[in-house]
Amino acid sequence: MMTHLRAVWAFRHFWLSLVRMDLRSRYRRSVLGIGWSLLQPIAMSGVLCLVFSTILPMTVETVKGYPAPWRAYAAYLLAGMCAWEFLRNSLVAGCTALINNEAYIRQCPLPYGIYPLRTVMGTGIHFLLSLTATTTLVCLLRGSAEPLGLLWAVLPAVPLMFLFCWGLATVAAFATVYFHDTSHLIEVIAQLFFFLTPIMYTRDVLEKKNLGELLGLNPAYPFIELVRKPLVEGVPADGVTYVTAAVLAVLATGLGFGVIGWLQKRVIFHL
Amino acid sequence: MAKIELTNVSLTFSVRRTPKITFKEYLTRALFLESRNPRTQVHALSGLNLHAADGDRIGVIGHNGAGKSTLLRLLAGVYPPTTGTRLVEGRVCSLFDIALGFEPDANGWENIKYRAYLLGESPRTLRAKIDDIAAFTELGEFLDMPVRFYSSGMMVRLAFAISTAVEPEVLLIDEVLSAGDMAFQKKAKERMRAMMHTARLMVLVSHDLSSLGGLCNRAVWLHHGHIRMAGKPPEVIAAYERAAGGNEPAPPASAVRAA
Repeated sequence: MMTHLRAVWAFRHFWLSLVRMDLRSRYRRSVLGIGWSLLQPIAMSGVLCLVFSTILPMTVETVKGYPAPWRAYAAYLLAGMCAWEFLRNSLVAGCTALINNEAYIRQCPLPYGIYPLRTVMGTGIHFLLSLTATTTLVCLLRGSAEPLGLLWAVLPAVPLMFLFCWGLATVAAFATVYFHDTSHLIEVIAQLFFFLTPIMYTRDVLEKKNLGELLGLNPAYPFIELVRKPLVEGVPADGVTYVTAAVLAVLATGLGFGVIGWLQKRVIFHL
Repeated sequence: MAKIELTNVSLTFSVRRTPKITFKEYLTRALFLESRNPRTQVHALSGLNLHAADGDRIGVIGHNGAGKSTLLRLLAGVYPPTTGTRLVEGRVCSLFDIALGFEPDANGWENIKYRAYLLGESPRTLRAKIDDIAAFTELGEFLDMPVRFYSSGMMVRLAFAISTAVEPEVLLIDEVLSAGDMAFQKKAKERMRAMMHTARLMVLVSHDLSSLGGLCNRAVWLHHGHIRMAGKPPEVIAAYERAAGGNEPAPPASAVRAA
């Protein structure tokens, strides 16, 4: 694993320049360009807020200190969506990481970790931009700069989420080579998890239905808490959540490297 | 110091008629019915022995599907051997499918960078070379255009210029030069001759027997994954030409020398 990581580092110029190109070409023909990274979560949450404040009124009792209930809900939703989108997009985009880079794989034996890394770096930068937008919006919704004071509690979540996504994207990339339907399955599973995870509702909704144990089995939940709790509620997530997230990140990375070690000599024959 | 050592290398592909397994295929397997999409074993290379060191320029010839490209890919480390051992020392650079491995939306300059980084250059070492690479391609203003609009000859120029500029110790070339125009082919051959003098190892696959004879000091004739004959280029090429003519029988076993 260490030799693999060292090889990934040795080719850093290669994948970093590709990540730069991906970012540029993603919005190559759009008028707003990279601004979409900022605007997309805002627009998405705008739509959801409109729906949930008028058509389906939703409130979050646990979130306090906001001038109006809909503002609290909007902040809660924004932060949750921001973290969720990173996890989901990394996994979905990770599926095609090896298939899309087939040309490089057939030319040069590079460490396989590079290709999912290229994808996750892209979604990760997207996430950082949208996190900036979210933080600003939460401050506006709250009417104070208080969330900025707790950014230190959010920052450790970023590398942990990154490792978690890298590991899972690697597994997804290899799975897709062997079984092309993986990406469709993952989209369905992601949709299921979106509704099983307290993103649009709070955790007491699940607890009232005696489904609280589900949260313990949900690998996405700790990461969302790490981002959302300090930003929206103004208190850092508890230590257990940090530890759980760290364990999940290490497990996912280990799984990713395990899959690479297991299949790196064989995957080329299936591409 | 560059070195290639293949000892008893075999490579077997497991191929299906259609590459992906369908749901129906899962069902037939579960019901123990006869598969309509069975696995077939393709012995792309079998029992290959090849030893080469600094200064060797090996030309590989053979009919289509003889395993020439597979051999190069195996040398590059893309395909791991099924059995046997592969040892390649030195910085490997490969020129295979020219159009592959370019980012179509990026322009020529950017693609020079990606390729060079892929071959192990760093921004610092590349800065000294990038103008030479650009000059060698003779593409001029086209380098500012996305590679998507390049012709295959232009891509060959770009790829060849990069791959030879990074000073590889082992250079693997798969009949790419035929795509360039006359002037470029001449220039490319000159550069390859220059590279010979720096005592690097080169393996070249080509159907252009005359230029192969001029560039290489060793030749290997592959036939259905076996080494049919190896030795001095003129002898091997002559034997190959006789066999390809279809009238002459294959050389007797005594003429087959170990590589």
